[in-house]
Amino acid sequence: MRRLLYMIPVAIGISIIAFLTMYAAGDPIALIKAGKPNINEATLSGLRTYYGLDKPIPLQYVNWLMNILQLNFGKSLYGGLPVNQIIGPRIWPTIELQIVSLLIAFAVSIPIAVQSARKPYSKQDVAVTSFSLFGVSMPTFWFGLILIIVFSFTLGWFPSAGSQGVAGFVWWGNSFFDQIAHLILPVAVLVYVSLAQNIRLIRANMLEVLRSDYILAARASGLSERKVVYSYALRNAITPAITFLGIALGGMIAGAPMTEYVFSWPGLGRQYVTSTLNLDFPTIMGITMIITVMTLIANLIMDVLYVYIDPRVRIR
Amino acid sequence: MNLENEKPNGGGKRRSASQWAVAWRRFRRNKAGVAGLVIVLAVVFIGIFGDFIAPYPAYPANGAFGPFYKGDVRTAPNSHYLMGTDVLGTDVFSDILHGTKFALYVGVVVTIITMAIAILVGAVAGYFGSWVDNVLMRITEVFLVFPSLLFILIFVRVFTLGGGAGSSFNFLGISVPFGLTIVVVVLAIFNWPGDARMIRGEFLRVRELEFVEAEKALGAGNRRIIFRHILPNILSSIIVVASLTIAYAILLEAGVSFLGFGDVSTMTWGQILENNFSDMRIVWWAEVFPGLAILITVFGFNLLGDGLSDALNPRLRD
Repeated sequence: MRRLLYMIPVAIGISIIAFLTMYAAGDPIALIKAGKPNINEATLSGLRTYYGLDKPIPLQYVNWLMNILQLNFGKSLYGGLPVNQIIGPRIWPTIELQIVSLLIAFAVSIPIAVQSARKPYSKQDVAVTSFSLFGVSMPTFWFGLILIIVFSFTLGWFPSAGSQGVAGFVWWGNSFFDQIAHLILPVAVLVYVSLAQNIRLIRANMLEVLRSDYILAARASGLSERKVVYSYALRNAITPAITFLGIALGGMIAGAPMTEYVFSWPGLGRQYVTSTLNLDFPTIMGITMIITVMTLIANLIMDVLYVYIDPRVRIR
Repeated sequence: MNLENEKPNGGGKRRSASQWAVAWRRFRRNKAGVAGLVIVLAVVFIGIFGDFIAPYPAYPANGAFGPFYKGDVRTAPNSHYLMGTDVLGTDVFSDILHGTKFALYVGVVVTIITMAIAILVGAVAGYFGSWVDNVLMRITEVFLVFPSLLFILIFVRVFTLGGGAGSSFNFLGISVPFGLTIVVVVLAIFNWPGDARMIRGEFLRVRELEFVEAEKALGAGNRRIIFRHILPNILSSIIVVASLTIAYAILLEAGVSFLGFGDVSTMTWGQILENNFSDMRIVWWAEVFPGLAILITVFGFNLLGDGLSDALNPRLRD
């Protein structure tokens, strides 16, 4: 609950930073003018009033905040469409991509990390640690490029771009399998990257926990190895991993732009890249706020999970 | 070494030297760490001498094609162009060699700025504790939670608006690209929080040790205790984190450049990837090899960091 209240100042702080960044860029109208030298003054001042840029900055901020609380992000400076219409259809593809890869990464990383930690410095462990070190050393987007070159261009197994077939062409027969075909490569990229991080973290914690006295006691009392490792040790080894995951989530959600860009995925990340290059501030700030809220919600879920796994937190 | 000559220096100095010697001996036994060191040394060598080894000169900043341009656009790798030529007709192999110095520049400078901020914040928070710690750590958490890549992109975009691409400034006789420096500073501004937390943790641990109390009893000031006594004690952790930060910074810059936000006139590895992205169905070699260069370099720094961590903080190992 305290956590929930704490989220509010974080969100407000980020909104202020986002808003001020826009002013660091200078006057958006001046930018328009720089791009179109022939535009006349009347049009410019018309635009100024249209976007509410003639009012003092604090008032503009309050207006903007009031509007986004009503889920109204204003109009895009690039094309004039309402930001809602630009962002709306892109939220789900991003969430879809993130959730699928997060779940797979977490489910796979736990058994691998545990097995690896049980026999540290064995052949298997060395293989796993170098595999994961490779994963954290690799540029996310480059791994995506390689997958596209190999599986899309050369082998032709999967589509190289988008989230569904275009112009009536569907992969693998029907539209459901078509979506899966489009998901496989980007998910593979995101899974590999977070898998590597998870494995490194859980393995390190597991190594530490397996050396502690209570594990020795559990073994001495004759419990099965499986029970000792998975229900005694894992619980303690996984809690720091979850804390870290909560912190890293922001980075992961924000890391999606690269993957989305590589695979032309119609999500928030790719739109953010396009809008930022175009200096389309209403859209930029809208996406920033939505991603911030998504990150904070994800953090909250992590906190709840944390209490569930580690009951000591509740008592404190 | 002659022990008798060392004696008047006082035991402290000699002991600290041998502590590093012990660490070095431990490090040498770690094959992965040594491999990392070898990779890093090779990368540094190429960074310094790459301009002289490269078979073709660098892509000229003014956009005009240099003498190396022979109309060989999109040539597959062959004996003249080991890694092929890209969409602009430049030799990918040469581009990678030229780009090495930029990767090192990014890694090292981002790390220096990051560590400076992180040490300051971490030291103050960890040493003074109470409300100072509370305030600084809340700020750090905000930075950690929020999607920093989004802010990095918009900051880079906004700050490179006033030009800067193409121009460079002189630093100690070395010409440094201006646009890339902006990217570096922005990366550092958003990169310090994780490191600051780590350093704070180390300060919390060390400040409870007896020797700090002894210093206080002797009347040493806070600044002296922080910089002269605690900092050297956590130097090993700082070195480890610095090595990992270099790796991360190189990765991040490649990503920023790849998304089209980098310094267009500076051929960093990420920039090569970006230039050839739209044509990658044809020029796959211009995507594969620069990425490999990034992978190997970052892998080297990560291996080195892990190796150093094992050698310098043996308590983490067993």
